[in-house]
Amino acid sequence: MSLDLNLNIGLSTVGSSANHYDVIIIGGGPGGASAAIYTARADLRTLVIDKGLTAGALGITGKISNYPGVPGPVTGAELVEIMRGQAESFGAEFLTDKVVGIDMKAEPKMVMAGTGAFYAKAIILATGSMGRTSSVKGEEELLGRGVSYCATCDGAFFRNKTVAVIGNNDEALEETLFLTKFTEKIHLIVPTPDMKARDVLMAEVSANPKIDIRMGTALKEISGNGTVQAVRVKPRGGAEEELPVSGAFVYLQGGKPITDYLMAQLETKPDGCLMVDAEMQTAVPGIFAIGDLLCSHIKQAVIAAADGVIAAVAADKYINGREKVKQDWK
Amino acid sequence: MSLLKETDQQHLREQFSALDTPVKLVMFTQEMECQYCTETRMISEEVASLSENISVEVYDFVRDQEIAEQYNIDKIPAIAIVRGGKQPKDYGIRLYGIPSGYEFSSLIENIMMVSRGESGLSPETKEWAANLEQPVHLQVFVTPTCPYCPQAVIMAHQLAMESDMITADMVEAIEFPHLSNRYQVQGVPRTVINDDFHMEGAAPEPMLLGKLQEAVA
Repeated sequence: MSLDLNLNIGLSTVGSSANHYDVIIIGGGPGGASAAIYTARADLRTLVIDKGLTAGALGITGKISNYPGVPGPVTGAELVEIMRGQAESFGAEFLTDKVVGIDMKAEPKMVMAGTGAFYAKAIILATGSMGRTSSVKGEEELLGRGVSYCATCDGAFFRNKTVAVIGNNDEALEETLFLTKFTEKIHLIVPTPDMKARDVLMAEVSANPKIDIRMGTALKEISGNGTVQAVRVKPRGGAEEELPVSGAFVYLQGGKPITDYLMAQLETKPDGCLMVDAEMQTAVPGIFAIGDLLCSHIKQAVIAAADGVIAAVAADKYINGREKVKQDWK
Repeated sequence: MSLLKETDQQHLREQFSALDTPVKLVMFTQEMECQYCTETRMISEEVASLSENISVEVYDFVRDQEIAEQYNIDKIPAIAIVRGGKQPKDYGIRLYGIPSGYEFSSLIENIMMVSRGESGLSPETKEWAANLEQPVHLQVFVTPTCPYCPQAVIMAHQLAMESDMITADMVEAIEFPHLSNRYQVQGVPRTVINDDFHMEGAAPEPMLLGKLQEAVA
């Protein structure tokens, strides 16, 4: 049969042991990777789902010299890779994917990601705080009318058209490359002087003749009468320019805790942060949160790592029905 | 040739072993003219072959016009997912377009839900649906490559299960461009409520309930 129907993607494989874990950790930064070291070492079957090495705050940090035990300087990506390697050595699995939803009421708890459904007895949320705090003019009004945050979902609506992609990370570049299958031309608006993405992606984007890359350029407005018709951009030190486009795919980042995939199942404070108890457990038993997701938090990798360890030990206690934590030293 | 891999067939057989009430897939096709009609029928038949509690009835949209009207089917390919057995019931759950890609999971989840007879919605939403006095038609526009879409589709179908006043359609946006154009769909999922209200994205249940309350006020 020539048509690939992709019936296996997103297929809920209840009953399959392959997608069942003791612990699923969402986010593979210092908090998530540290939690994975401890859960995997405690013989808990552990899956870490992460958008990519450079998706989080540490992954895009250039030089670190104050992480205890690692004199450095090392890049954030190098530090995260060391932690991930350590977790993998104890049996933790890492999956590059984006979580789109969680069913906390289900038993076992269900995590829906782009590649399908995964199940776990406990979940540790470690998605950090690079969510956007504000939108640009026109963005909210034109959402679903040309403004999109998902090229794989909406790319087919822009066949043979010109679109803009705004962002500088792995996700923005991957989505840009996906859109080349449909669109005639893509303006890649990079808000920073440098991209914060993997070299292989940057090379692929740079080599594609459909992609017009504009470095150090800010998105000022998305405009249109009912549907997107243009984006207004401003390069650093240059004059504003209006680019006629039919779609605008926005992958900008900010400093807000990333909790959209929780679909309001956990209460957040006005600034979007999550509340936990002393063992990092949220209001839902078996759901833990760590690192920059938390309120009143010092945003340092070592703090997130420590949070991860506390959550891992508490998850072990929760899963095995222990009354007290099991000490890992004598 | 089988559309599903052997491992996926086995997973689904295990999942379907939990079906306690029979489910019927009422599929409408028209082999000569309809894009993806053949594939949609093949998917329906293959899924039905994996459990003795799932059956499939295939009708021609033109020749079987009376039955199409009985199920309010106005476009093809279409699947109505109805409860069978001793107390058959059509909850108003419809899939228009091929349930491939991520939407295959919507088909499977719907089968499980209809057999279970329990939507899983919150008591607040169930109460609102039970007291509904006017018709509500939900159309959830999707693409097969959208991982967020099944959440929106399944929630609409959960609502349809809770009230005879609610009907809910999955509509594959690329297969029905006239509807995508009519409802200005350029992003998915997009839920259209009674033609006049709409919601972007896979919204949490309380948010959708708020929009529904606004739509029927």
